[in-house]
Amino acid sequence: MGFQNRRDFFKTSLLLTAGITGISSKKNKAASLDGPSENRMGVLVDTTVCIGCRSCEWACKTTHGLPTKPIDSYLDRSVYDKKRRPDEHALTVVNEYDNPNNPLLPTDVKVQCMHCEEPACVSACIVGAFTKHPEGAVTWDTDKCIGCRYCMVACPFQVPSFEYSKAVQPKIMKCDFCFERTKEGKLPACVEVCPTEALTYGNRNELIEIAKQRIKRQPDKYYNHILGEAEIGGTSWLYLAGQDFGKLDFPKLGRDPAPGVTEAIQHGIFSYFIPPIALFALLGSVMWINRSKNNGEEK
Amino acid sequence: MKYFVFIVITYLSLSTFSFPQEVIHNQVNLECNTCHTCEVPTKNDPCLIECPRPKMQKEFPSSETGPDIFIMDELENRYLPVVFTHKLHAQMSDMTGGCLACHHYNTLGPILRCNQCHSEKRKRTDISKPDLMAAYHQQCLDCHRQWSHKNDCTSCHAEKKGNESFDRSEISSELTQKTHPEVKKPVKIIYQTDCKEGKLVTFFHDQHINIFGLDCISCHKNENCISCHDPAKVKNGKQHNFDKPIMVNISETERHQRCFGCHENDKCSLCHKNSEMKPFDHSLRTGWALNKNHLKLECTACHTKDKGFTKLENECVSCHRNWNSETFDHKVTGLMLDEIHIEFDCSDCHLDRDFSRRPSCGNCHDDKNFPNNKPGKLVN
Repeated sequence: MGFQNRRDFFKTSLLLTAGITGISSKKNKAASLDGPSENRMGVLVDTTVCIGCRSCEWACKTTHGLPTKPIDSYLDRSVYDKKRRPDEHALTVVNEYDNPNNPLLPTDVKVQCMHCEEPACVSACIVGAFTKHPEGAVTWDTDKCIGCRYCMVACPFQVPSFEYSKAVQPKIMKCDFCFERTKEGKLPACVEVCPTEALTYGNRNELIEIAKQRIKRQPDKYYNHILGEAEIGGTSWLYLAGQDFGKLDFPKLGRDPAPGVTEAIQHGIFSYFIPPIALFALLGSVMWINRSKNNGEEK
Repeated sequence: MKYFVFIVITYLSLSTFSFPQEVIHNQVNLECNTCHTCEVPTKNDPCLIECPRPKMQKEFPSSETGPDIFIMDELENRYLPVVFTHKLHAQMSDMTGGCLACHHYNTLGPILRCNQCHSEKRKRTDISKPDLMAAYHQQCLDCHRQWSHKNDCTSCHAEKKGNESFDRSEISSELTQKTHPEVKKPVKIIYQTDCKEGKLVTFFHDQHINIFGLDCISCHKNENCISCHDPAKVKNGKQHNFDKPIMVNISETERHQRCFGCHENDKCSLCHKNSEMKPFDHSLRTGWALNKNHLKLECTACHTKDKGFTKLENECVSCHRNWNSETFDHKVTGLMLDEIHIEFDCSDCHLDRDFSRRPSCGNCHDDKNFPNNKPGKLVN
């Protein structure tokens, strides 16, 4: 391979990369401007209605083929003694908190992936194993995943978990919004099984309207906030509660999408490939100065 | 001509149809948002909450006239139908929001079946209202969860075993006839307070009902089942003992709110004492002993409602306005005057027209006095 060819290769590859980066950064910007589509689905979790029966936990495990005890064992309320997090064995869990308004009716809160409108995990995944579907679900592709676990670090709700116990083909585990079931026109398993319909599945915009109506009609019962309506750019799963969400272990999050900062830096560094070119130009010029110095010394 | 008659009849029928609705609309004392979803309902867009109301009805029947039981069998799948003891629950609801506690958004309509608004399907187009199963569970569990502290299905549901079928005729009379036992009413409750001027407040429960004429719901509007049925209390044997002073774990404002409906302008010392109070006695409190006819009267017969229980004039005529020496029939006092004495003026015997003092015979007789000598004969 001659010197001339090598230079040509660099030239073309440089042009190509610049072109691709330019296009992809444009795409990313367009996606965040459009916002969620009109027919995006979601689930409204009304924690004031949840009775903490944990049927959803059972239904989730059964649907996703995870090992589970029989449903009758879920009546045991001693699990509420400590707070649990979703993990590789349970994609959703219910925790119980004291209710300052009525000590006899504790607040039960189901926890699972929130299916962000602008998911940090999708942004953080370096191989594109995560997908945000137009219907709302954020899913994970086992064939693409390389197990870097960046998604776990990126998630503002700390939801994705990793099958550390498996040596061969460990998976990232998280709620997939019952993507397969909803594709067939079925409801998510947890929504279908909930005895009190604390979980309502429907169009996200419609759910926000319903949540607003509930707060308006019973201002004494509800804390005046829909969690997930605006947090980190919005989430497909929305929550209503009778008390401050901070007391229910929800992280305090701003309105800006979680990937916003990281993407701004990353896309800033590579935008139109100017910073790398500038860097290489700087290094090149240093080299050139040094070479001319050397040449002078040699002379 | 026929066409004209048709128009007139149509117009009349339409106007009679819309008229009563508007009259009732003006009379009802309800929050607008009980029926309407928007701030300003208009004729074109009344934004009514979706519940069919073909006929207006203002009052619910009493708990006694409603059905004894109601069989919930729409969702017969995993469990046998639920036999809901309607009468028992209706009796309990008398102190917890009445029929409306369950028959919500049904204020002015005939009583509808739950499934007229609540769909039997979980997957449906209108998701603003819970489906039927959720509606039942939300209604029942709100109370049951509080007093059983658990979510067991089997307290209402019998689980289906094989092809077992449900036979309505086999529902035991124990269930159909089940009624709430009569609520035991305490005679008095002594409250221990932290008020420095008077630590004890004695509340005479029976007198407030029997003498002052209060209904249960005048105070017990939003009672919860668990105010009586808390299993934790029953288990520990901590039933209320009304002979000893009790502490109430509610805020000062809330405590006073219950009495202030009537006692707002009374002094603290009316209720707050350092020792247990004696029951209300009209003669001790007011110096006016009630006897015979007055004892039979309701308080409000003399203390008219708009004036409250304020002090009245001691003069008979301040209440009995038409009484004078000609119209007064002395027989009502228990003494029928004889032919001689009936002719006299009141003040001849009741000196200075003071009817609270013993009458005097001294104006005419030197050797006679009341009650040893009577100016007539006693009657009952």
